Amino acid sequence: MVLDQLYAITPLVTTLLTFYSVYLILALSLNLIYGYCGVPNFGHVFFQSVGAYVAGNLTANVMNFMFLGGGNICEIATAEARRNLALANPAIAMGFFILSLAVGILVGGFFGYIASYPALRLKEDYLAITLIFIGEIGRIIARNEASIACGLVGLTGIPNPFIWVGDPNLSLIIYTIMAVIIAAIIFVYLQRLSNSPFGRLLKSVRDDEIAAASLGKDIAKARGWAMILGSSIAAVAGVLKVFYAQGVFADDYIPLTTFVVLSMVILGGMANNRGVILGALLITLLDFLVAPSFFRLIGVEIQFDITYIKYIITGIVIITVLLFRPQGIIPEKPVETIGLKIARQNIKREKNET
Amino acid sequence: MALDLTLPLVNSIALGSLYTLMALGLTLTFSVTKIPNFAHAEFITIGGYVTAILVNFTALSPVIALIIAFISSGLVALLSDELVFKPLHKRGARPLFLLVASIGVGLVIRYILFSFADLTGNITIQTNVSVYPIARFGRAYITNLHLIIIPATIAIVILLHVIFHYTLMGKALRALADNEDLARVSGIRIYKLRRVAWILAGGLAGLAGGLWSINLLIDPNLGWDSLLRVFAASILGGLTSFWGTIIGGYIIGFAENVGIAFLNSLFGINTAYRPLISFSIIVIVFLLRPQGFAGLDIRAILPKVRGRGS
Repeated sequence: MVLDQLYAITPLVTTLLTFYSVYLILALSLNLIYGYCGVPNFGHVFFQSVGAYVAGNLTANVMNFMFLGGGNICEIATAEARRNLALANPAIAMGFFILSLAVGILVGGFFGYIASYPALRLKEDYLAITLIFIGEIGRIIARNEASIACGLVGLTGIPNPFIWVGDPNLSLIIYTIMAVIIAAIIFVYLQRLSNSPFGRLLKSVRDDEIAAASLGKDIAKARGWAMILGSSIAAVAGVLKVFYAQGVFADDYIPLTTFVVLSMVILGGMANNRGVILGALLITLLDFLVAPSFFRLIGVEIQFDITYIKYIITGIVIITVLLFRPQGIIPEKPVETIGLKIARQNIKREKNET
Repeated sequence: MALDLTLPLVNSIALGSLYTLMALGLTLTFSVTKIPNFAHAEFITIGGYVTAILVNFTALSPVIALIIAFISSGLVALLSDELVFKPLHKRGARPLFLLVASIGVGLVIRYILFSFADLTGNITIQTNVSVYPIARFGRAYITNLHLIIIPATIAIVILLHVIFHYTLMGKALRALADNEDLARVSGIRIYKLRRVAWILAGGLAGLAGGLWSINLLIDPNLGWDSLLRVFAASILGGLTSFWGTIIGGYIIGFAENVGIAFLNSLFGINTAYRPLISFSIIVIVFLLRPQGFAGLDIRAILPKVRGRGS
């Protein structure tokens, strides 16, 4: 009985956890670019969509070309054929996922490099507007160009890399565990990065460009690398989302997504990866609880689109945090340098002696 | 088939006027408060909905409905400043911070509008005003609406020019936009003026939204969809220039309507790419000339156009 019920809600739980991982990766990468380096990349969702389109196109086109003898990737028949192919061949299913991840990271980084061109030349508020515009240009092209992910219809039939396990729920569970692990790896990587000399360089560029430059630091290079790293990590989030949803839909990558991710960073605390974990968790939970699917689960039928309420709350969260706690729930911590550790030990020793 | 540009031409003048009205408010708040205000979009939508609902359900005359739209959008704009932007400004928040706050304000207003529209069954709505053709111009008809939108825009532009240049309040506003601290020590009551600026900016946006709702079907995303173009118009004008914004508004109108008609008939480019024209203009303007038209010195450019040395 209990097992049956658990089985029934598995997709809900895995969706929550996978989306949490995706959002967390997005928020962490935005935090690297905006929180640590001070580049207001409000077109961040564009870099996620780059990863998504790379994953979708690469998988669908190469699968069709190599194993299915061509055919239009947008047709339902070929989508079905790709699923069956992945069901029969574990190596192909997982291989395409890993390949998409690798190519997505590279292409995402490349677009980040391109977008860093304005980032070196504009004032921060102008830059924020420009990056929103650049993201919108990308989205409109992708939405109307049928060769990129089938335009408005969307590209389906991107098989889950663990589809060959047989039980659909089990493959979802394995995928979710993998997504959480990837998010954790990225967290640990960024955490180490932010404590490294490079992380301190980013903070110094954010706080005072001129001071950083006067110490011989290359500001342009620091910003460029922050953009490249942040965008390639955002592309990972896109790849993860596509293989879970098993499709690419242009309308998922609207500026609103960036603002939701931004609210996670602001709520949790800028330039603090631990805070972002908390912020992403709170906003993802909001996303999950204020949704028609959740209300259906607890047996409440509502007559209007509850998702509107979710965005109202997101807006209120942004405003309230900016007004009353601009540093976020967990404020930025000083960098853990060796000097700081020694100083702490000395203070402790002195306290013990007295 | 010969390329007939009359229809896009008429459209671009009408839409250019509306973009101008919307962008003037954005320029005003940006120059006075230094906020790149993303919530400006929502003032447009509010104006559209107020007009449409008043005219459709209470049989009010469209002119009165437009006035009420002006007032209600202006009041919402004032409220958003009093509750959010002013406290942040007093704390010395940077423009980027204010931009993020305005995104938050925009989200709240837009989705309240969405909920309202959904609950009352008005997700899409158009103001019921009979629009009839008055004259024919090639393939396009000049309607009575065009005869309202275009003169109204011109009148408002002249009115604003008079206010800014010939009244004490307008001069004080310009002083405030120029340098807040200096304005303050000169005895200008900056918070009173700030309120005027917000009401005016919101009101103009609401008026444009109301006219838009007579022209076309609207939904709660109206503001957001036009916002990037409104920004484009304002940015073309350098974000702080009055006449620059007006030129920018019409350039965006022409570039989008005439430009896409050209590209569509010559190269077969899908008309869905219409927004790309203005977006690309902006990215290019920002990268090459962030100050827009403002401070463009014609005497400095002419020699370059004529050729070096001559």
